[in-house]
Amino acid sequence: MSHNPHAAVHEEESVHHEATPDAKSFVTFFVLAGLALLALFVGFSDLGSTKVVASLAVSTVQACVLAYFFMDLRSADKLTWLVAAASIFWTFLMFLFILTDFLTRHLGVL
Amino acid sequence: MADILLEPARLDYTPQMLPEPEVSFEKHPEHKHYLNHEYGLLSWLLTVDHKRIGLMYLVSVSIFFMFGGIAAGLVRTNLITPTGAILELDQYNKAFTAHGTIMLFLFLIPVIPGVLGNFLVPMMIGAKDMAFPKLNLASYYVWAAGALFFVWQLIVGGLDTGWTLYPPYSSKYSHTSVMYAGLGIFITGFSSILTALNIIATVHKMRCPGMTWGRLPLFVWAMYATSVIQLLGTPVIAVTVVMLAVERMVGVGIFDPNLGGDPILFQHMFWFYSHPAVYIMILPGMGVINEVLTCFARKNIFGYKAVAWSSVGIAVVGFLVWGHHMFLAGQGYYLAMVFALLTMLVAVPSAIKVFNWTATLYGGSITFQAPMLFALGFIILFTIGGVTGLFLGTLGTDIHLHDTYFVIAHFHYTMVGGMMFAWQAGLHFWWPKMTGKMYSDFWSRLAAIVMLVGFALTFLPQFAVGYLGMPRRYPNYPPEFQIYNVLSTAAAYVQGIGYLMPIFYLGYSLFAGKAAGNNPFKATGLEWQTSSPPSPHNFETTPQVYFGPYEYAVADGLKIIPLNDGKIHDIVHEDPDLVGTTPKEATHGS
Amino acid sequence: MAASTVEGPVAHHFNNMGQQLATVRFGMWLFLVTEVLFFGGVFCAYTAYRIWYPKDFEAGSAALNVGIASVNTFLLLASSLTITLAIRAAYVGNQGGLMRNLLLTIVLGSAFLGLKAREYYLDYEEGLMPGTAKVMQKQKVEQNGKEVEIEVAVPKFDIALEEVLKREHFKGEAHKDYDPSRVMLFFMFYYSMTGLHVLHMIIGIGLLTWQLILARSGFFAHKSRYVYIEVMSLYWHFVDMVWMFLLPLLYLCGPHTSSQAIEQFKMAIGLSHGGH
Repeated sequence: MSHNPHAAVHEEESVHHEATPDAKSFVTFFVLAGLALLALFVGFSDLGSTKVVASLAVSTVQACVLAYFFMDLRSADKLTWLVAAASIFWTFLMFLFILTDFLTRHLGVL
Repeated sequence: MADILLEPARLDYTPQMLPEPEVSFEKHPEHKHYLNHEYGLLSWLLTVDHKRIGLMYLVSVSIFFMFGGIAAGLVRTNLITPTGAILELDQYNKAFTAHGTIMLFLFLIPVIPGVLGNFLVPMMIGAKDMAFPKLNLASYYVWAAGALFFVWQLIVGGLDTGWTLYPPYSSKYSHTSVMYAGLGIFITGFSSILTALNIIATVHKMRCPGMTWGRLPLFVWAMYATSVIQLLGTPVIAVTVVMLAVERMVGVGIFDPNLGGDPILFQHMFWFYSHPAVYIMILPGMGVINEVLTCFARKNIFGYKAVAWSSVGIAVVGFLVWGHHMFLAGQGYYLAMVFALLTMLVAVPSAIKVFNWTATLYGGSITFQAPMLFALGFIILFTIGGVTGLFLGTLGTDIHLHDTYFVIAHFHYTMVGGMMFAWQAGLHFWWPKMTGKMYSDFWSRLAAIVMLVGFALTFLPQFAVGYLGMPRRYPNYPPEFQIYNVLSTAAAYVQGIGYLMPIFYLGYSLFAGKAAGNNPFKATGLEWQTSSPPSPHNFETTPQVYFGPYEYAVADGLKIIPLNDGKIHDIVHEDPDLVGTTPKEATHGS
Repeated sequence: MAASTVEGPVAHHFNNMGQQLATVRFGMWLFLVTEVLFFGGVFCAYTAYRIWYPKDFEAGSAALNVGIASVNTFLLLASSLTITLAIRAAYVGNQGGLMRNLLLTIVLGSAFLGLKAREYYLDYEEGLMPGTAKVMQKQKVEQNGKEVEIEVAVPKFDIALEEVLKREHFKGEAHKDYDPSRVMLFFMFYYSMTGLHVLHMIIGIGLLTWQLILARSGFFAHKSRYVYIEVMSLYWHFVDMVWMFLLPLLYLCGPHTSSQAIEQFKMAIGLSHGGH
């Protein structure tokens, strides 16, 4: 088989993909459990209109910790980050346009 | 210097070739290709060979196309008289819905990705197969199952909501198989996601040495952009159809005004996919046109980068314009203005492609075989279709034209005049590669002309009658519109005959056609470097790519074609051992 | 540990192990994109209506069993841990550890589903099912200046909702500052979103079971095949991520207290029978 320049690239990719040692996984779990408790705390509190913002902020942090550590984005290549970012961005576009309709529809005729 | 082949630059020559095709049947009659290396039903049903899977899609998609065509025939025949010639009112609703859904979901969306995408993408990038061959086979079965289930539901229960499935009619009042038909659509959609996933992974990870993104055939760029759209858009219609099915099952739902729900939300979520869906349909066709035009004009594509990036541009901006289907639906005015502006913007990348194609033709050495006839027809008809879209994208004129036959003529010009003929161009261009047989030049050119003329005359009157106010989806119309409808129907029959013709001459070629040879059209591209039909694993050794994809005519200088000696040769000119002198010296050298 | 030392068979269409591993991982990430958009669609619809009907969505959320949801959150987090431990086990070739962790993930996931099933059953018992079913109720109305008792068709759901909100001491119940039909809309989202999540969990547990069977048959003796546990974990973590957003949007949207949560969980596992 002839020397394949692509082989080097793909070999390198996998070198950095060592499976996370158990100790680190446990730490991540406890961080996430702590955040879950925080989410419940926020949820059971009486923050009024800011409660939803705080709740979603906690969820976002939880999701980022989960993605970065458990889903191993930490050692992933740029392409994987691009794919993950694209999914968030496209969802954001969908939210942006549709919610604009729902927020502005009853504002009256131009 | 004996093992270096030197070719002077001139038109009509084939660069970027392995010095000898890897396998030719003249030299190796015992060579087994992908069709005959294994026999038996199971070898086909359980194949993971992307080429066989492509053929399986070809057969299935063609059958469903016939069903959709029959439905179209019913619709057009019914419209001969102002009060409906052959169908009852509810039958007419079922007929146009069947035509729309079958043609869109079971033909236009899967045809080029399933047939040509599967067959060609691995070969064009120098790979042995797709990234996930077993997933590819599973994709086919999921699609076939969903498609069969869907058609069965159309037959036993019918579907009369229009292909757009708008609630509350579809959720509450229709007595047809909305839920099960929706399930069929869901299943076929899932298959298209898996195919898209496969293509994206293949293009990213399986390119052969030297095949950089800038050397990819534009068909691959187009398939990549299409796959990105499929990946991002299809899940949204999947969840929308699920919500609609739930509403139908439970009796109340999230689009139900009685609960405070909003039918326009359905339209938003539906069109979030369905507008990009039309780009899923047209982008692969545009990809084919790049290949066909360059080959039959014997010229490099003009503006490779512009065409490549315009595919990406269409994919991205295409996600931001869906509200132009809803200008009269009741969405907010501010949002409508944003959508109208973005709709104007999305026309730009398509226009860039058309300009580049025209520039490609200029100064080329053009011949008019069937693939080229279809490609030229594509450029003209797609442009007409695209330009008429601008009237629909403008808020003011859309008030008059929305839901009239003008819309129908517009999208048929782009989807049939565009995509369908691009498919025919691709089918005719790569038929010799896929089957190893050559079809009749005369009959294929005649069929192309019949199809093109028949199509154009079918829908031209529809622009007029739409502008005059005839609404779409109505079986009855004022008597003064009858002349337009009769003209349209008559041309539709001609068009139908045109679609039937390839069955005969292509079918005939399978049994009695001439052997096509490895590269009957003298095209560039790695797929033409293999035998026709190709070996099961495409390439005997991993190809090494040195030039861009359309090196048909080189302005000056020498083209060196080194042997595949296992070494990497980067830029040929820089290696003194390989650089020759002038063409005269070179050919009169050793 | 360099990839070239990760031993295992390379499929015929790949050039080397590195390419195979990278491609398999990439494929799963691509699939997760579709899942993000899939759930994103229904989340977007939910958000649209929450903007229009904030009070009614709060009322709906108040009627949900947040006790079960809280416990389920931790079960799911634990299962995310165990599947990550399974990847490590496969990577180093520890077959016993791999099978143990896969089994634990399946058990934790099944416990989640078991509690969810109980939650749905309680909802059914309480009558919180969206639908068009109606009952006849006697209501006093004014007619021609006199108070008359007539029979009115009232949706079953409305009555059930009222009872549950009274039980949960929902403040808005007294002034009826919610519209029951809008709350039914909320419940459509509750069932659809949690239902889709449950469906994904069932599929995930099925796949995990298959991987467990494969592990028993020695499939993962080739260390390179740890990548299949890794892509399974990507899917499983994604399902966990969806839950992280479902919890605040559906369950924590309305007013709850931690004592309510405890009481509701007791009710769920049969230690109490509601009404406090």
